[in-house]
Amino acid sequence: MVPDDSASLAITEAAADPDMLSVDVSTPAPSDMPEATAQTHSDVSNAPEVAADAAPPVPAPPIDPRTQLRLRNDGEHLVLLMPNGPQAEAEGGALGWGELLQHFKQRLNGSEPFWQPNTVVHLAARDRLLDARQLQALEEILTAAQLTLKRVATSRRQTAMAAVAAGYSVDQLAAEDTLVQSPPAPGKPLAEPLYLQTTVRSGVEIRHPGTIVVLGDVNPGSSLVAEGDILVWGRLRGMAHAGSGGDRSRCIMALQMHPTQLRLADLVARAPDGPTGDYLPEVAYVGNNGIRIAQAQAFAQQHFNATLERGAQPTDAF
Amino acid sequence: MTRIIVMTSGKGGVGKSTCTANLGMALAQRKQRVAVVDADFGLRNLDLLLGLENRIVYTALDVLAGDCTVEKALVKDKRQPTLGLLAAAQNRNKEAITPEQMKQLVAGLAPSHDFILIDCPAGIEMGFQNAIAPAKEAIVVTTPEISAVRDADRVIGLLEANDVKFTKLLINRIKPKMVQEDQMMSVRDVLDILAVPLLGVVPDDERVIVSSNRGEPLVLDKELSLAGVAFNNVARRLLGEEVPLIDLNATHDDLFSRLRRFFRG
Repeated sequence: MVPDDSASLAITEAAADPDMLSVDVSTPAPSDMPEATAQTHSDVSNAPEVAADAAPPVPAPPIDPRTQLRLRNDGEHLVLLMPNGPQAEAEGGALGWGELLQHFKQRLNGSEPFWQPNTVVHLAARDRLLDARQLQALEEILTAAQLTLKRVATSRRQTAMAAVAAGYSVDQLAAEDTLVQSPPAPGKPLAEPLYLQTTVRSGVEIRHPGTIVVLGDVNPGSSLVAEGDILVWGRLRGMAHAGSGGDRSRCIMALQMHPTQLRLADLVARAPDGPTGDYLPEVAYVGNNGIRIAQAQAFAQQHFNATLERGAQPTDAF
Repeated sequence: MTRIIVMTSGKGGVGKSTCTANLGMALAQRKQRVAVVDADFGLRNLDLLLGLENRIVYTALDVLAGDCTVEKALVKDKRQPTLGLLAAAQNRNKEAITPEQMKQLVAGLAPSHDFILIDCPAGIEMGFQNAIAPAKEAIVVTTPEISAVRDADRVIGLLEANDVKFTKLLINRIKPKMVQEDQMMSVRDVLDILAVPLLGVVPDDERVIVSSNRGEPLVLDKELSLAGVAFNNVARRLLGEEVPLIDLNATHDDLFSRLRRFFRG
């Protein structure tokens, strides 16, 4: 699922504007969709498990969750990972740099610090070109979060020079071959879950190559993209995309499920029109006919039973 | 300690400048030394709302160019001498000034004032970045419309990310009658989405238009309109007083609408 660079760039640019994206996806939707909506609507009251809106024929565009700045715990210090590759470079170029920082700040503000004050940070700049001003901006943000930038690892000579001039210790790595862009290897472990304690507001986009947990509301106009599950302890009213790497076993859970759009792996569903009126915790997962939504209790029972059965099988074989 | 407050909304036309003018005047009436700063370079109109257009000699750009001191550029209001206006340049655009310069301007005003209100331009581009740079607090103005609320939500997120930690909400132009008939978002609906502390609710009032055209903020009226009272209350809340919200329903709550509500459940 790795399209050529130009195509993937167009998609990620659209993804930066959630409003635009939802329009793009819903326009080619077939005319029989309202029917499915109505049916879903009437089902809600009596059936514990209902199909979400029929998935339109347009598959969810692949979104690379590694295009944002993120912190990783590396034992004694934290590593600040820069998005990699020529695509990230183009996206995070002249105008995108500000946006990249904006997203990073919003993430830092919302996330529960998993570090002690004055923890050392190593910047993994990879093949990104950074000048002195950009390095300084990064340092200011990190200082505000009580982190100290000490070391910069880069494969670009200019970045290394800027970092040396700014007084950081520098690891200069051999240039990666950017022509051979291998997708993340299948079966690679996901990143540790991202825990956010904030209201995710319009225009905020959180991408994470792992599970996202939000303690708070997710407002319309925002988007969450996770390679793992998405848990919202609050109202989900924005766009949520779980299993963005293509894993259909992922699910989206929310105390109140009123999303503008749900995406699981390559499937897309939109919420039924009109108020649903139910305020029970729900889970969205991939069932036999696309994305389905079940009340949390029913989902837990079913899946518990399913795992029990699965767990029982090996003993039968013996 | 000077309180530096930016008035912002994201969406245009929700009443940022009107609120700034009235709030500035109401604070000045309460013996506060207030400076209102127009950050809308190229599209200034705070001077019109305050009726000070023909008294502007120097603008913020003249101060930055070193042609005059910031105190000299401040236009004193003759009705309330403790209110001053720092006008924006009309012949330039938003890129004429940087966030650093904006900070410098406000820092020049801070020692001699209790309140500095910055009137932010619509949008979230350079003008917005300039206006919020010096601010410690923000008042987000919104109307009870879905588009205004969505933009306000985005702006609150941007304020948080730019270290403006104290954000309060001012809901403008609410029509109690329409809310009662379920045709307009209620205060509760707006708060439900935005989840920030409420500073005040200002009802829709035709006299706002009249006062804007005359250049006399509503709070100067001898007999205050409901909107004027609301602005005064907002000013009192900013000064730390506990003032209950005015009961906007009272005026429209006749027997007929009560019956209707009763039957609707």
